[in-house]
Amino acid sequence: MAAFNQLNTYLYLAVILFCLGLYGVLSRRNLIAVLISVELMLNAASINFMAFNRFLAPHPAVGQIVALFIMAVAAAEAAIALSIIVALYRKLKSINIEQANELRG
Amino acid sequence: MPALDPLFVLCAACVILPLLAFGGIMIFTWRRPFLSLAVSLTASTACLLIAWYIFWQRWGDPTPLILNVDWMVSDLVRVPFGFLLDPVSQLMLVLVATISFLIQIYSIGYMWGDPGFGRYYADLSLFAMAMLGLVISSGLLQLFICWELVGLASYLLIGFWYEKFSASEAGKKAFVVTRFGDIFFFMGLAILVIFYGSLDIASINAAALAQKMEPWLITTCALLIFGGICGKSAQFPIHVWLPDAMEGPTPVSALLHSATMVAAGVYLLTRIFPFFAASAPAMTYVLAVASLTYVLSSTVGMVARDIKQVWAYSTISQLAMMAMGLAAAGLAHGTLFAGYFHLTTHAGFKALLFLCAGAFIHHYGTNSFFMMSKGGAKKLTIPMVTVTIGALALAGIFPFSGFFSKELILGNLWHLDNKLWVGIGLLGAFLTAYYTFRVIFVLLFPRPEDHPAWEKYYEPVAGGHGHGHGEEEEAHGHGHGGHGGDFPGHAPEWAINLPLIVLAGVTIILGFLQGTLERFLLGESHPHEMNYLLLVLAVGLALAGIGLAWWDWGRKGATWEGFLSKVPALENFFIQKWYMDHFWRWFLNAVIYNIFSKTFTYNDRRVVDGGVDAVALGCIGSGRFLSFLQTALLQLNLLFMVLVLAGVGIYLLMGR
Repeated sequence: MAAFNQLNTYLYLAVILFCLGLYGVLSRRNLIAVLISVELMLNAASINFMAFNRFLAPHPAVGQIVALFIMAVAAAEAAIALSIIVALYRKLKSINIEQANELRG
Repeated sequence: MPALDPLFVLCAACVILPLLAFGGIMIFTWRRPFLSLAVSLTASTACLLIAWYIFWQRWGDPTPLILNVDWMVSDLVRVPFGFLLDPVSQLMLVLVATISFLIQIYSIGYMWGDPGFGRYYADLSLFAMAMLGLVISSGLLQLFICWELVGLASYLLIGFWYEKFSASEAGKKAFVVTRFGDIFFFMGLAILVIFYGSLDIASINAAALAQKMEPWLITTCALLIFGGICGKSAQFPIHVWLPDAMEGPTPVSALLHSATMVAAGVYLLTRIFPFFAASAPAMTYVLAVASLTYVLSSTVGMVARDIKQVWAYSTISQLAMMAMGLAAAGLAHGTLFAGYFHLTTHAGFKALLFLCAGAFIHHYGTNSFFMMSKGGAKKLTIPMVTVTIGALALAGIFPFSGFFSKELILGNLWHLDNKLWVGIGLLGAFLTAYYTFRVIFVLLFPRPEDHPAWEKYYEPVAGGHGHGHGEEEEAHGHGHGGHGGDFPGHAPEWAINLPLIVLAGVTIILGFLQGTLERFLLGESHPHEMNYLLLVLAVGLALAGIGLAWWDWGRKGATWEGFLSKVPALENFFIQKWYMDHFWRWFLNAVIYNIFSKTFTYNDRRVVDGGVDAVALGCIGSGRFLSFLQTALLQLNLLFMVLVLAGVGIYLLMGR
């Protein structure tokens, strides 16, 4: 399969994944779903790194390290986001993003 | 970093140990009086030993030794931190260490049973640290820092019985008034840094000696620095804090008035004596101010009824005398020896006088020496004998130490062309002898019980007192009454008597060491031509003063009315302390409060507060306005953000 040996294949995959994530973030009203979508976007970035590393970078490990970093950051981000969601739920009894409108002028 | 000189380490230890004692007591042991006492005494003994060791080690070596490490370096200005060891500082070091050690011993007896025992020793340690640091600083900035610390420690000690209103007021007054002088001192230092570029004592002195500095610079700085000296050494017109400072415990007064605090001013004058001496106008000004102070304080001393007040005014007058001696020496190209020697001898006998006063106060619970006399003061043999020795020294009678140093100062004054100065000096000597022996004779020869004089001088021993009188009853309630808590038995008598005997011994011996000390200080001894006329005049006037005091206060039929009472207007003028307190009160009300405070308050209210309020209100308003941008549609905002980013990205990648 020649397609798997090309950079472009992976970049298309990443773009698709990123757009799915972005769509999720912009359209879903449930905060947990938004959080999941953000994870998708992060994974798209990871794939980009891995792909460029595989096909372009002189040193084979750099992209993998960055991918590992992204995982760690994603884990931390998920923890923080979840705690924010819990706090929001305690206050509003809901995790609908449209309910969080206290700052409206 | 090169290996440190062992002497540097010793000097540093001398400064740091009392500081550690202060910190240790304040943080850990202040609730436990005897532990605090042990900590403080250990530090003070160590300082004493170090001081004497340095003194002995460098005996006969007049070359100054400067031990510096860099502290702050900024472009052109280098501020070193270090010590200057030369005969002047070594002698003072020994003096300060010894006196503060003796006073710590004495305080065991005097402060026995006081609830603030631990705090008291902490403050004494801080005081010792500041003063020792001041004495051996190598630069004026370091000296100034210690100078301020001395002020702080004296504030703490003067207001030690802070629960008494008058004591806390006196502490505040001392602090504010000396700070007022320090402003000038600091301005002088600033000008020196700007125009000369260094605050190193040795280099300033050398430059002034070699006439490398412009005269206007020297005069300006000398006058400004003398402002600081005026505050610290209680010279006219900002001497008013010192009599009030008697509110502190008596050992503190002894410490303040002998080797530390007030001596710091004169010490500074000696320290940069060549600098001062390079400016004749400044020296003349010093001489004039000191002479005025000398007369003022001597006359007020003649009418005070509080034994500590008398000694306080005598301190002011003796400090003025030192300044006169130094100024005269500066004008006549003499040496600093006379003034400095008087500083040394004065430290001994003034500490002695105050400690004796403390012994009486401790015993009789009153500050009025008339009431002490009524209580039978002459039965306290050791304090009575020692106070007489101290008084003889203060009056300048042979063979006590004050005689030698006063003689030198008068000799210096005599060399000036204008004989007015020596006249003032002699007048002061006469008045000094008079008011000193007024106290002694009153203490020694009480009137019979039914004598009318008792009516006049009667003061209740406890209860509501006028300002500055009988201030120690409250503390003595603690001391003699319940023996609260940790203090077993009665205060140890030896602790009070031992320092008295030591200091009396010093007072008798020190005068005969004049030649030795001069060789030590100057590296050479000038043979003094004896000026018999002056000698006879001085001693004769002192004896006349004592004789007059005997006539007024001592002899069998004496009415206990000073010769001044023939001139009631003058007497009243003196009793009101030349209206100096009134003047400052008026000055504060009329100038400071009415003009400056009012303007600044207005400025504060309208400009500063108004400005801050305007900023705050503006923030609130603009926040209101900006909040209209928030739609609470989070995802809509996000969408716009993504679109804009995408647009920018596309423009950057492809647009060009």
